[in-house]
Amino acid sequence: MSEPVLFGVRHLSPAGSWHLLELLNRVQPEIVLVEGPSDLTDQLSHICAQETKPPIAIMAYSETVPIRTILYPFAVYSPEYQAIKWAHDNGRKCRFIDLPSSVFLAIQEQRALQEQRAALENARTADAVSDEAADTAEESMQRDAEPDSTVGQLSPSQHIAEVTGEDSQETFWERHFEHNLYAESYLLGAAAYGSQLRGVTNNEPLDEAENILREAYMKHEIEKAIQQGIAPDKIVVVTGAYHVDGLRSVNALTEEEIASLPKLPSQTTLMPYSYYRLSSRSGYGAGNKAPAYYELLWNNLQEGKPEHTAYAYMAELARYQRKAGHMVSAASVIEAVRLSQALASMKGFSVPSLRDLRDSAVTCIGHGNFSEIALAVADTEIGTKLGSLPEGVSRTSIQADFYRLLKDLKLEKYRTTVAQTLELDLRENMRVKSEKAAFLDLSRSFFLHRLQVLGISFAKIQHTNQDKATWAEHWNMVWSVEAEIELVESALRGETVELAAAFALKERIDECSTIDEAAAIIEAACLCGMPASVKLAVSALQRLAVDAVSIKEIAQTVHSLSAVIRYGNIRRLDYSPLVPIVQQLFLRACLIMADHCNCDNKAAGAVIDAIAILNEASLNHDFTDGERWIALLAELSDRDDINTKVSGFAAAILLERGMISNEQLAIEVERRLSKGIPADLGAAWFEGLALKNKYALIARLSLWEKLSQYLDTLDREEFKRALVFLRRSFSSFTAKERSDIAENLAEVWGLNAQQVDDMLNRATTDQELELIEALEEFDFDDI
Amino acid sequence: MSTEFQRLPAEAIYQKEIDALIAAEKDPVPSGWSMSPRSVLKYIVGGNVDGLEITPKYLGHDRLVEIAIATLLTDRSLLLIGEPGTAKSWLSEHLTAAINGDSTKVIQGTAGTTEEHIRYSWNYAMLIAQGPSPEAMLKSPIYRAMESGTIARFEEISRCASEVQDALISILSEKRISVPELSYELPAKKGFAVIATANTRDKGVNEMSAALKRRFNIVVLPSPADIATEIDIVKTRVAQLAGSLELQAQLPGDELVEKVVTIFRELRNGVTLDGKQKLKPTSGVLSTAEAISLLANSMALAGGFGTGEITDYDLAAALQGAVVKDEDKDSVAFKEYLENILKKRGEKWRGLYKECKELNK
Repeated sequence: MSEPVLFGVRHLSPAGSWHLLELLNRVQPEIVLVEGPSDLTDQLSHICAQETKPPIAIMAYSETVPIRTILYPFAVYSPEYQAIKWAHDNGRKCRFIDLPSSVFLAIQEQRALQEQRAALENARTADAVSDEAADTAEESMQRDAEPDSTVGQLSPSQHIAEVTGEDSQETFWERHFEHNLYAESYLLGAAAYGSQLRGVTNNEPLDEAENILREAYMKHEIEKAIQQGIAPDKIVVVTGAYHVDGLRSVNALTEEEIASLPKLPSQTTLMPYSYYRLSSRSGYGAGNKAPAYYELLWNNLQEGKPEHTAYAYMAELARYQRKAGHMVSAASVIEAVRLSQALASMKGFSVPSLRDLRDSAVTCIGHGNFSEIALAVADTEIGTKLGSLPEGVSRTSIQADFYRLLKDLKLEKYRTTVAQTLELDLRENMRVKSEKAAFLDLSRSFFLHRLQVLGISFAKIQHTNQDKATWAEHWNMVWSVEAEIELVESALRGETVELAAAFALKERIDECSTIDEAAAIIEAACLCGMPASVKLAVSALQRLAVDAVSIKEIAQTVHSLSAVIRYGNIRRLDYSPLVPIVQQLFLRACLIMADHCNCDNKAAGAVIDAIAILNEASLNHDFTDGERWIALLAELSDRDDINTKVSGFAAAILLERGMISNEQLAIEVERRLSKGIPADLGAAWFEGLALKNKYALIARLSLWEKLSQYLDTLDREEFKRALVFLRRSFSSFTAKERSDIAENLAEVWGLNAQQVDDMLNRATTDQELELIEALEEFDFDDI
Repeated sequence: MSTEFQRLPAEAIYQKEIDALIAAEKDPVPSGWSMSPRSVLKYIVGGNVDGLEITPKYLGHDRLVEIAIATLLTDRSLLLIGEPGTAKSWLSEHLTAAINGDSTKVIQGTAGTTEEHIRYSWNYAMLIAQGPSPEAMLKSPIYRAMESGTIARFEEISRCASEVQDALISILSEKRISVPELSYELPAKKGFAVIATANTRDKGVNEMSAALKRRFNIVVLPSPADIATEIDIVKTRVAQLAGSLELQAQLPGDELVEKVVTIFRELRNGVTLDGKQKLKPTSGVLSTAEAISLLANSMALAGGFGTGEITDYDLAAALQGAVVKDEDKDSVAFKEYLENILKKRGEKWRGLYKECKELNK
């Protein structure tokens, strides 16, 4: 009796598609059975619709929380996609035959629960939960990957690489399968490959069980097709090469057994996919690292000329380089192709692999540096292609998650086109019983901030002027069609709002180039309540901080991080990852501060702001290097070769912190304000000193004695110059403070308070007005 | 083998391996080559042939060696670029030893190299006596390589003046040298190529013109890929040096070598070994070769003036000299490294940290 044709493929394999089409045309089957959740068969018509452009993905997700998803991406060169299209174009039947998605999701759920239990036992810290959510999502992508468990020390794929002398199993596969157009070679080779792989893989028992279950179910579906009266030799089954052996040997599931499988209520949909996503989510099957390259290969395979891919690759790469303004001569392109062929021939092949092509491009076009052509390589190998679907087909899991969260957080009434305001109080609500209710507003805030990160224009935060009210937030809520579209677009970033927000933050982190930006991302991640993203952003900040040289930038970053650490408790997050980075920035600031203090008065303002911020940080956080900071301040205060205003300010801080005694201050004042020191320098020093703790200064009579003595030593011209600066120093004092100072000076000069008051409050005399006018003639040397 | 020379050419030292590889040859041999590309690869990265162990000559970057060999296979010339101490000349010597059994057709590039060194010059006594004749001609290594269809080496090409470098351009593209004095043009035989080496980071180097660069396939030789390889290289070379220099000190222990290599790698790459923290790299060249000489120096110091064992104090002083080359910038970077990284490394590093900190007050 004849058998159905079992065609084992590697998912996303262009040569698999080529051989499969050739087989389909030859066998002319009545039905094509494809590995994929059987309840997704009704999506097939959408896949073949005119408007559908791959890459697309079929997707199923659970209706319950936490959302579990499974995803099968298809590119134009996916064998499954080509088989489905062939059946559609030739009017044959086509079905998915793998376990229904509800069963997949139920299995996934149970395994996740099991893992969580194990994780709890390992007493993992709270912030790992988010990681785990990411892991689960990752796993859902990997569920169909070829099992990668270890044989001794080496995984099977490493083992293959070792045995064949290739750099990776990818290259091995490409050389032996993707470039091979001999009839039957793929069918036989892939089946043998899959069967060997089965032999050497030590699967986890659970993986193994799942595989057997799937194969038994697929077998059942195949037998069902035969029972429906289709001749076995008119059936073609397209499945992962790994399953071919299993399908031959396993017994089909019975109806009763199928009925007893666990199920989780699920939704299915199609979603547009992107080449970028295809390549960035490693683990799913094969050929995914370089989708654009594989499409090139697919195009050339259709012409029957896989060797032309090398020309196309180099030409594409050179085109990109030229567009970006780099010179690439045709001769270099030719040399690159020749080199790639020589590399292939050293291994005994005629068609270069992707690795050969890339290395040749680096050598001949990139002058030996990968970084020179990194962007061109990304464009040529990964590409920016986006899939599209007919309107209304997509109802993705992120949409479902969004609506579920709306309900959960009691935000549904805000989903109208009429703008409303939502006021949140992030503090724990003591009057309610459950923890969930107590932190409802906090959860709402996390949710809304995540939407902001995703750029979904549903809620906008209103910045209130009460900057101290760290626990209050005001949101403007308004729903629009655009918001729905933005939501669907976000599906490409992740399956749930949280995962998508994490991905969006990661994209921002990868792109950010200044420490300000990185600090802003840290803040955003904190607002979203996503510790894993905070950690990522912190390491990005650390990376960037190495190159940042401006003291201003460093101080500002310290300032914002310090605020996050101090006021962040309201969001119930662990801020310890921020501590080392603040320490590092603080240290850097200490090390480079002295150099920055050699500046003019204009720049001194910024330096003084930075010193003030850092001083605040050192007072607020005892994890900063206080000793170093005080030593630095003492150095700044003592040095004569830096801006005197800064020196004065450093002295002021030391005074405030009780590090300078009265006597020391008196000596310092005398030194700074002595005859011979240019008036502007002396007065600027005093200005710096007066920027802080005015009361303390006013209360020190000895200080004013010194000032008075100094003024006495000046001659008329010098006095005029000093006057300008001293006036400026005192401009920041209030009227009351100024009159206190006047009284102090009066005491030094032997006058009483009454006389001072008279002096200050009487009308200005003509004589004085004359003096002031005369000053306008005075040459202040641009001061 | 005579030992009166400081150093023999590679093909003499490894004569046995080369002979064995040639004898066991199964793959097609390109014209002008003495063995197949695969055998050349095996000669360089190591392996086994008919029971004879082939010692690895270049560790850690097999793929780059493959690219280098494939380049020579396409008749292209090869330019090896890298920081000082990344085994450029070493690789170039062994490539020619394996491919031609002759690594001695070398031009050693200097600021004083002239165009005649690249093309040909004359024996002036004969030139005056007999006029231009093939006998009166002094052929350059490149000329001889073209005649015989072999590979010529050009060391330190970027040290030659740009005009002199330009002499190579037409030779490499047309593969001919014209000798107008003899109304003759020498065509290069199959198998001719040039392997040039150049420094990227050194004083006294000339930028290479785009036209010349375009005629080479460029392979950048990186520092050793992983710390284990580098520790290995450092340990072996230090032991060899200590032997030949007769240093009166104990060989540095594993832990010490690891410390030096760790610090070098981290400051060189500007990132900690675990890849988690970026660092400010310093301006000095912290190559593997530098690490070797640092340890040898410390040994000489410890042997001559100390206890015969390298202490943290010796090491800190040596590190200071190697790392802080440009006082202002490097000192800040090194201080940050000490506080952010070394300080937090735990007990093992405490002593070294303290000594370094002392020197960086």
